[in-house]
Parts: sequence; structure tokens; C-alpha cells
Amino acid sequence: MIPLSHFMFISAVLFCLGLYAVLTKRNAIQVLIGIEFMINAAILNFVAFGRFDKATGGGQMFALFTIVLAAAGVAVALAIILNVYKHFRTINPAKIDSLKD
Amino acid sequence: MGVLSFSAGTLGAFSLIALAFPFISLFTILWRSKDSLGHIAIFNAFISFIASFIVFCCVWNKEVIHLQTGWFTIGENVFTAGILLNNLSVLMMVLVSGISLLVHVYSLMYMKGDPGINKYWAYLGLFCFSMLGLVVSDSLLLIYIFWELVGFSSYLLIGFWFTRDAASQAAKKAFIINRIGDIGLLTGLMIMYAQFRTFDVVKLFGPMGLVDSASIIDGIWISPVSQMPVVWLSVAGFAFFIGAMAKSAQFPLHTWLPDAMEGPTSVSSLIHAATMVAAGVFLLGRVYPLFDSLVFNVIIIIGVLTAFLGATIALTQNDIKRILAYSTISQLGFMIAAMGIGAYGESIFHLATHAFFKCLLFLSAGAVIHQLHHYKEHHQLEFDHQDIRLMGGLGKKMPVTFISMCVAAAALAGLPLTGGYLSKDAVLITSFEWASGYHGFKKLVPYVLVLTSWLTAFYIARLIFKVFFGKLRYEGITEASSSMSRVLIVLAICSLFILVSFNPLSYEGSWILAGFTGSGVKPFEVFHSIVPIVVTIGSILMVLIGFRIYAKRDGRTFREKGFFYRFSNRAWYLNEAYNLMFVKPVERIAHYSYRFDKLIVDGVVNLAGAGMGVLSRVADWLDRYIVDGAVNGAAVLARHTGNFARQFQSGRLQHYLITMLTLVVGFFILTYFI
Repeated sequence: MIPLSHFMFISAVLFCLGLYAVLTKRNAIQVLIGIEFMINAAILNFVAFGRFDKATGGGQMFALFTIVLAAAGVAVALAIILNVYKHFRTINPAKIDSLKD
Repeated sequence: MGVLSFSAGTLGAFSLIALAFPFISLFTILWRSKDSLGHIAIFNAFISFIASFIVFCCVWNKEVIHLQTGWFTIGENVFTAGILLNNLSVLMMVLVSGISLLVHVYSLMYMKGDPGINKYWAYLGLFCFSMLGLVVSDSLLLIYIFWELVGFSSYLLIGFWFTRDAASQAAKKAFIINRIGDIGLLTGLMIMYAQFRTFDVVKLFGPMGLVDSASIIDGIWISPVSQMPVVWLSVAGFAFFIGAMAKSAQFPLHTWLPDAMEGPTSVSSLIHAATMVAAGVFLLGRVYPLFDSLVFNVIIIIGVLTAFLGATIALTQNDIKRILAYSTISQLGFMIAAMGIGAYGESIFHLATHAFFKCLLFLSAGAVIHQLHHYKEHHQLEFDHQDIRLMGGLGKKMPVTFISMCVAAAALAGLPLTGGYLSKDAVLITSFEWASGYHGFKKLVPYVLVLTSWLTAFYIARLIFKVFFGKLRYEGITEASSSMSRVLIVLAICSLFILVSFNPLSYEGSWILAGFTGSGVKPFEVFHSIVPIVVTIGSILMVLIGFRIYAKRDGRTFREKGFFYRFSNRAWYLNEAYNLMFVKPVERIAHYSYRFDKLIVDGVVNLAGAGMGVLSRVADWLDRYIVDGAVNGAAVLARHTGNFARQFQSGRLQHYLITMLTLVVGFFILTYFI
């Protein structure tokens, strides 16, 4: 039986990789991929913790919801990226700095 | 003289016309063009003379005209201003305007081509106006105003060639010494007002006036309105006399007159003949009833001393104008002394004859100077054209000047057939008659006067012989132009006896003397025959001696050294004495005050300034580094904080995320470990 800590470790690594990608990549698609990494790290955690709730299967349920939400989120995010590209003629987040005053 | 008759008001108007026209000349100073100004000024002087002459003819020996009007009111005291025309004032009027007319005509040629000629006519007009105003005023206050104006305009005229240092110094000297006299007159004025509450000359000094009716009881001088210790009566007399001393150049205030020779000669002539120096004698005449015996004694002493002093100094002067200046001082001494002995009429008589012959002397000297000056410029020579030692033989080349100057000199020396003979005899004989009633120093007075008149004959003979006799030095010198010569001729005729009396040998027939009340001394017939003979013989002897020494030049001459020569030549060392007594101490005080000012006052001021400088530097440092430092420090802090905080708002999404992450992680780390 694989101990819980291994799941946690993999999940943490996955989350960190996602976070790293989100913070450093110069392409919005890659940032989006980083976000997916982080969501999947969370899903992995849900599934791993779901082992302790065999009766109701709450963890599996949440994982499913999250996958759906992530899919919807990706759809929305891609639409946003598309619009950003239309507006700025770039999807490099380092060059999109009109949030500052 | 009885042909003309006018009402009092008309005569007053005439005298105002006589005043106003010279005043109009003052405005010629505004003219830019200089061509016809002289004719305007002469016209004004002529009108003034005509008006004066009409007034003279109508008033002389007739009723006194006194017109006055309210001038201003202070509290309940009404001050009046007006015209007083009596024998004294109309005689002075006609003298002043007549002499001034002649001087105007003479100046036309004499001052021709002077760059400041418009100023000259203006000042001359002001001068005549002031003197005429002084003469006709009926109020002491008005007299004082015109008195000051006379002093001021003489200052302007003496310093007319003000670019020459000597002229401007002489003008200042005349002005300052006259200020001393002005203080005297002002003091007299204040005492009179304090005692009598009026400035009106008629009320004060007229027949049965306030001065006459004021009584002295137990050492208190009582007038109808006030009273004061009797010493103030003498003080008032002295005060007026000091005023007269300064204006009429009496010792010790005479030193300005010789220096005043720096002005144009025509001006000197006017000053010496009728306007300036006559003012002092005139003032004495106006306030005559005021003097008590003490003041009279002082007047006699000063007058006799001045007459003697002037004559002795004139003996050795070499400048032609200075000789004449000292002779004026001497003659003024005669007039003042005559006033002192009570010979009021004789004094005025001498003033009148003196006006003509002294004017003539100056104008003749002016003609000589003028011609020599032109000769000098024409031949490009360099010599002092006023030094009589360098003249000689001019008599043949300048006959008109020569003869008229001889007439004037004879009048000055008191030789018969001249006006001067009559008036001088009048003074001398009266002085003998007066002295016969006294003992002590008063006995000496007539003898000193006789001695002085002999000296006068000598020095004027010296002048004539040195200038007009002997070898001619300057070939080709010519007679003065005809307009100048004509003036000389008119004056020469006026200097003769015929103008003042039909009898050439006795002054008693003179109409001028008849116009004034007599001296009141007991006549001694013996003096009337002896004195003229002795004086005339002495004078003729003096002239002969002068002729031997100066005209023939046979080697006999005076040594030009020795104590007496230097004493006389340096004018009794009075200028030096004044320098030592007044000028030097004043300069020393000024020097010390300057040093005090420089060291102490300036030191304190500078120290305070330096202290303030240090204090302000400290304040500056405090302000710059503490106050500004705090303000600037706050600003710098805010700027750095702002800049630091701004970095977080880069607008980039990922930077925000990093910030958020850092904060969240940091927060967790903090809560976990603490």
C-alpha cells in the first residue's frame, strides 16, 4: 500500500511546478498549463484523501467536479487569451502591464 | 517839482510799478535766446526809474504817504503790509533805481558775450527788486524778508562766475557773514514785537510812535502793551546795529566786501553804490529812534574804527578793485559814525553823494579792466589786468574814463566843487560841533575822521597816478565803447556839486540835507570855515605827495616792507585772525566730529551690522540644515517610500502573483514559527 505522504509529495511537486510555470513563463498558454498543473495537484490530493472516505466517496466526487470546473475554466481562459491577443497583439504576460496606473 | 501831483493811491501804485518791473527781469532767466534780454532788462530798469522819479518828485518834502493792508492774522494779532513813502525812502528809491539803470546800461557792453548773460540780467533784476522793496516796506517783517533777498541776490551775483573757485568762496563768505547780521536783525525784530506787539514802522518809530512814548521807570522799559528790563532796549539797538554792520561792511564784519570783488565789476558797482551796503545805513535810519546812548557810543566807535581801518588798508592794496572796496568800507564808516553822532541827515547826504561817485569809480575801473582784458586777449599776453602796478599812462589813451575817474576821485577825496566835498564836510563839521560838547574819547572822533579823509585823498591819488600817469605800457589800447563812456559821463556830472547844491563851497544850501531833520547839535560858526579849509589843504597836500611819488617816479617811494606796510597790505591780518579764531576751531571741531562719527557712531553701527551678520549666518545655517533638513528629509523619505512602493505596482500580472505568494508564504511562515 502506497503511504499517503507519497501522494502528498507528488502533489506538492506538481503544485510547485505549476506555480513556477505560472510565475515565470512568457507565454499565456504556458501559464494556463501551469494553472492546470496546480488544479491537477489539488485533484490528486482529493483522490488521495478520498481513500479515507470510502463510504460516501466524497473525495472522488470533488475530483470529478474539479475536473469539470477546470475544463470550463480552461475554456474561459482560452477565450480570454484570445481576446487579449486581439487587443495587445501579444500573449506575453510580461508585456501586458496596463494594470498599473 | 511842484508840477506833478497825484493822489496817495496813485503814488503807491507808482512805487509798486517801480518794484514790479525789475522783478519782471527775473523771468528773463527762462529765456533760451540771449540776444535782446539786455534791452528788456534796461527797459524794466528805465520804467522803474521813471516811476521812482515821479514818486520822488511828488513826495519829497511833502506829506508822508503810508498805505497798508491786512496781510495775515494769527489769533487776534493782525499783521499788516504796506508802503511807507517818506523823504528817506523816496530818496533811496530814486538813488537805487537810478544807479541800477546806469549799471544796466553799462552792463550791456561790459557783459556782452558772457555765456550766462540771461542769468546776469535776472539776478540784477532780483537785486534791484529786493533793494527797492526793502526801501519802501513799512513793516519790519517785510524789511526782514527783503533784507534776506538782498543778501541772497548779492550771493548770486558775487558768485556769478561760480566756476572760479575764488568767486564761489567769496559768495559763500558774503552770505555767511551776512547771516550773522541777519541773526542780529531777527533778534531785534523779536524784541520789538515782544515789547510793542507790532511790526509797523510808522507806529513804532514815527513821530510820537510807540518807541518814543515808551518810558523807562526804575530800570524797566514800559510800552503800552508790555514791559521788560531796560537792558533789552540796548540789546534791541545792538541787534539792529549788528544787522547793519554785516550789510554795510562794518568792522569786524567787513571782510566779505573786499572778497566780493570777485563778481563782475558792474555788480560791485551796484553793491557798493546803492543797493547792498546802503541797506545797513538805511536800516539805521529807519530804526533811528530806538538807539540809546550806549548803542550810539558803540556805533560811533565802530564807525570811526571802520573808516580808519578801511583807509589804512586801502593805502597799500595793489588790486584796483580792492582799493575801491576798502574805500567803500571807509566811507561807510563815515556814514555809520555820522549816524552815531546824531547827524542823521548828514549821513544820508553822504550816502547819496557816495552812491554816485563810488558807482563812477567802479564803472571807470571796470572800463579800464575791460579794455586791458581785451588788450590782453587780443595780444595773447598773460598778466593780472587788475593790478595797478602793471598799469600806467592810460590817461592819454582813455580820456573819458580818465576824466570821469578823476572827478569821482576828487569827490571821494573831498576836494571842492564835488558832491563828495559837501557831504564829507557836512559829516566832519557836524562831528566837530558834536565833539565840542563832550570830553574823553569823543573828542578824538573828528580828528580821526579828518586823518582818515587825508588818507583817503592819498590812496585815491595813488590809484589815479599809478593807473593813468607815467609811462604807457600797452600801446594801442583804446577807449571803452561809447555806451560805457556815456554812462561814465552821466555819473561824472552827477558827482559834481551841482546835483546836490547850488553853492559849491557850503553844504548848508543842499536840498538833500534840508529834507531831513537836523542833527540838533549847537552850530559853531568857526568850524564851518576852518574845517573845510584845513581838510581841503591837507587833502591837496596828500594828492601832491602822491603825485611826486607815483606820477613822476623820481625814485622817491615807500619801502614796500616793514611792519606797517605788511599790516596794511594784509588788511590788518583780520582774515588771518578770523581764520585762526573761527575757521580753524570750526574745522577742528568738524574734524573731531568727523572722527567721532567715523570711530564711535560708525563703529557702533558697523558692530551692530557685523553682529547681525553673524546672527543671520547662524540663522541661515539653522534654517538651511535643521528646518530645511527636516522638511527635505520628510520629502525624501516620502519619495523613497513612494518609489519603493511603486515598484510593486509594475502592472505585470506575474509580479502581483509573486508578491501575493511572498506575502502569503511569509505570513504562514511567520504564524508557523512564532
